[in-house]
Amino acid sequence: MNNRLLINMIPGDTFLHKLSGTTKVRLFVILMVYLIMSFDLRLLVPLFIICLIGLFSLKPNWRILKPFFVIVLLMNLLNIVLFWVADPAVGEQWVGRTRTILFSVTPRLFISRETLWYLAVRIFKMYTSFLVSLVFILSIVPSELAAGLYSMGVPYKICSVFSLAFRYIPDIGRDFQNIKISMQARGVEMDSRRISLMKRLKQTTLILVPLIITSFDRIGTISNAMDLRGYGRLKKRSYYSEHEPTRSDKVFFWLTLALGLFCLYWVIVRNVLIPGHQMWYPYA
Amino acid sequence: MSDEKKKTIGQVLVGTWNTQTIVAIGIGAALFGVLMNYGGIPIFTNTRLTTAQLVPVFVGALFGPLPAFVASTVGNIIADLIGGWGYWFDWSIGNGVLAFFVGLLPVYGADIKNGIFTATQAIIYAVIALVGNAIAFGVVTPVLTVLFYGGELNITFAQSLFGGLANVLVLVVLGIPILFLLASRYAKGTNLKEEE
Repeated sequence: MNNRLLINMIPGDTFLHKLSGTTKVRLFVILMVYLIMSFDLRLLVPLFIICLIGLFSLKPNWRILKPFFVIVLLMNLLNIVLFWVADPAVGEQWVGRTRTILFSVTPRLFISRETLWYLAVRIFKMYTSFLVSLVFILSIVPSELAAGLYSMGVPYKICSVFSLAFRYIPDIGRDFQNIKISMQARGVEMDSRRISLMKRLKQTTLILVPLIITSFDRIGTISNAMDLRGYGRLKKRSYYSEHEPTRSDKVFFWLTLALGLFCLYWVIVRNVLIPGHQMWYPYA
Repeated sequence: MSDEKKKTIGQVLVGTWNTQTIVAIGIGAALFGVLMNYGGIPIFTNTRLTTAQLVPVFVGALFGPLPAFVASTVGNIIADLIGGWGYWFDWSIGNGVLAFFVGLLPVYGADIKNGIFTATQAIIYAVIALVGNAIAFGVVTPVLTVLFYGGELNITFAQSLFGGLANVLVLVVLGIPILFLLASRYAKGTNLKEEE
């Protein structure tokens, strides 16, 4: 929970970092639609590869990212297993009404090829969306996020909510560490090797209440600082972090537009006109 | 504070959108996002017993229902962003609706900032938490699930049931003591009089 929780405060110097906030936010919004609209592996694999390239191009600190990859994988695996336990036939409604049972634990708990395919695609989709978020978070700073949202017509007070929230996330990690250390100084054992999981969970909860209270106590300080700088006096505002579109921004504008039109086409033709679930399934 | 003008219901619902409110919503959203990821235990697919639900209690008690709605919605979007479990806007809005209900505190007379929170109000709060969960996750989220994602209703209803129960548990068992605590903290400052 330390290491600034991935949020950047200072713009980096790679290609993706140098795009304007508007470009990043627009592309991300379209990619969210792209990810949500289908369970089609043929759409997800290219995005996955592009995101990997994007992630490498950002030159992140892999040592910090590693635990995130592990946590997300474990959590998604847990989700998949629970999905399967809740409804072993969940894949059938997606790939056509066939049932090819590969293996049965009990008559109710069976593994069919359809469900296996669906769950595999699902976990791949979730991992792809994690990569998209990761590239987005690593390439943007809070102020650029606000600027990007503002350029899309979001009221600037809501933009401020987003940028404040992003800016505050690292502080939460720091506060958590501080409270934890001061609890340890008072003799509360928090070393994971010495106490049981349940006890540690309970003590973590004991940290959270002071964490929430200190956070809300800080409202006055922050809002005073903002008021003193004249925040919220005018109806419009501009952003210091936002720069004129460069050539790559213009290229990305047309790419985003093309992708947006493709998403529109897909949603109308594949999702609205043909109701019901469907996904690409090579064994049909 | 006592000579403050009586607000209409509409004004209470919307809240006053000054800098303080915006900062509170921002901090609330950040807390919601982080706590959703690290401050809970998974109980079902993408469903957690999470302390994040305390955020709308704070924001709602101090700033009203609409700020609580925005804090929870933005918070859930951030949680999805750093969580890596996909983007689920049906749930973001569902959590926002729940936060709106939780944040109704000032509407039925609970004035935490002036230290007013009675046992009757605690009961109303508990009932509203229950009803709010039923409406948010029994009606709003499933409708949006069909609208946005076109299905997975069985799973959504199962998630709603587990998630709703977990939320009620957090909101009532942790929320009520915190509200009393907050009220008594603020009450210490209410017997002061401004000197002319």
